[in-house]
Amino acid sequence: MSVSNHQVMLSLDKVSLSYHTGRKTFDHGVHRVLDEVSMDLYEGETLGIMGRNGVGKTTMLRLMAGILAPTRGKVVIQPGKKAALLSLGLGFKPELSGRDNALLAAMLQGSSLEQATTFLDSIAEFSELGESFDAPVKNYSAGMRSRLGFTTALMTHVDILLVDEVLSVGDAHFRGKAQEAMKNRIMGGQTVVFVSHMADQVAKLCNRVIWLDQGKIVDQGDAVEVTDAYSASVVEERKIAAAKKLLR
Amino acid sequence: MVFIPQAGSFTRVFDTLSSILIINVDYSLMPFSQYLRLIDVMARMALRADATKFFLGYIWWVLEPLLFVAVFYFVFSVILGSREPDFIIFLMVGKLTYVWFAKSVTQASTSIVASKGLVGQIDVPKTLFPMSVIQEGLYKQASVFMLLFIVLLGTGYPITATWWYLIPLMLVNYLMIVACGFIGACLVSMVRDFQPLITLGMIFLMFTSGIFWDIRELGDPHKTELLLAANPLAFLLDAYRQILMHETPPDMPHLLMLGAGFGALVCLMVLAMRRYSQFLALKALTA
Repeated sequence: MSVSNHQVMLSLDKVSLSYHTGRKTFDHGVHRVLDEVSMDLYEGETLGIMGRNGVGKTTMLRLMAGILAPTRGKVVIQPGKKAALLSLGLGFKPELSGRDNALLAAMLQGSSLEQATTFLDSIAEFSELGESFDAPVKNYSAGMRSRLGFTTALMTHVDILLVDEVLSVGDAHFRGKAQEAMKNRIMGGQTVVFVSHMADQVAKLCNRVIWLDQGKIVDQGDAVEVTDAYSASVVEERKIAAAKKLLR
Repeated sequence: MVFIPQAGSFTRVFDTLSSILIINVDYSLMPFSQYLRLIDVMARMALRADATKFFLGYIWWVLEPLLFVAVFYFVFSVILGSREPDFIIFLMVGKLTYVWFAKSVTQASTSIVASKGLVGQIDVPKTLFPMSVIQEGLYKQASVFMLLFIVLLGTGYPITATWWYLIPLMLVNYLMIVACGFIGACLVSMVRDFQPLITLGMIFLMFTSGIFWDIRELGDPHKTELLLAANPLAFLLDAYRQILMHETPPDMPHLLMLGAGFGALVCLMVLAMRRYSQFLALKALTA
């Protein structure tokens, strides 16, 4: 899909985010998560954000969703549009049942109590939790939690869907089902930002990819090209690490 | 034309007000009715979860404050031999209202940090977290007050017209809880070290608010007056006793002044927490 003729939904303009950790472990206690990152997100596209753990991918999504504000720079979203984060287990309250957690999540995303209640049956069905849906989430396995998290988030309708690593967990059967549901959303013209460190998944689902490292954009462009470059760099890094180990 | 307030008109007025007061307010839009619904739903869920955790379930709502009273009664009446007439009623009125305040504020203080998971996932008004905890406390306190009234009636205290003063008194008490809860929640989100300080502050208040001693029996009227003026909680506890035990209306100007003060503080905190919503989120996530 060509994205150039679509309008910009959201853009980051030289966005930096840093915070004081209170402990002098980083640069005078200041931890820089993102450093002058600029990017545009177009209507209807599926943008992938790649990078290793701790390079600022989740922070970027949180900035887009308005959960955090940049220390410097600007986050501009088209007026009237809303971005929401689809992520594992929407901050579950462990002592509440899956049903209560799903209800709360839907309401926090803006559904009324009546709307949220009508979602519950489809959430129970899609997540395949069965009787466990009414058991406290603290008794859930990691797979069950991710199923509930994905399904709950899937029910919410937003202009920009921000997806954080949700497709990488759960058993093979559910993972396939989740990917299918995600694809349907994408085909339906949903604007999606998709965060992952799994190159093949990103290449399969995204039109365009941003490669993030140490809070900066290393490369961005065609999904296949960027994911290939990223995978190559990961292999390269592993080789260097192995060589260093041998030399020691 | 007659102005008819509609659903959401309060929020609209509020939004206009806040946009005048603070330029570039950027917060998630949530209708006021949705906000109230969420507070209620979150509080009910927490209560249900709490009840299923314990064998005695909902009984703990009244059992816990009563045990508090029992402990105090044992110490001050049995061991120290307090000569206050009707000491148990005196103690119940003071202690049960103090527990409402102390528990609500302490729990509200840690509410944003405790909801870190949610805070990192969704941009909601940060007042939602302390408010739902305070609402939870309000539901519990309703049953505690019922129990207190039954005990009062059972021990021969009549319901009089003076009891009407309980309405403004409870309202001011509630505003005080909300104001202190909001301040506590912000302080703990920013610097965790405030959490033990707040707990300590509650113990300080417990000893200085006249829960197990009578603020009017200090022997020095000047001291009594000073304490009632300086410690709003002492004033409120005394007002409950005046109404329920002595059929005496509270000092209304003082009460209204407290109400206005805490009301203004609540408004100010709501505006500040909207303005610095993302900052609070960052602090809760990273500190």
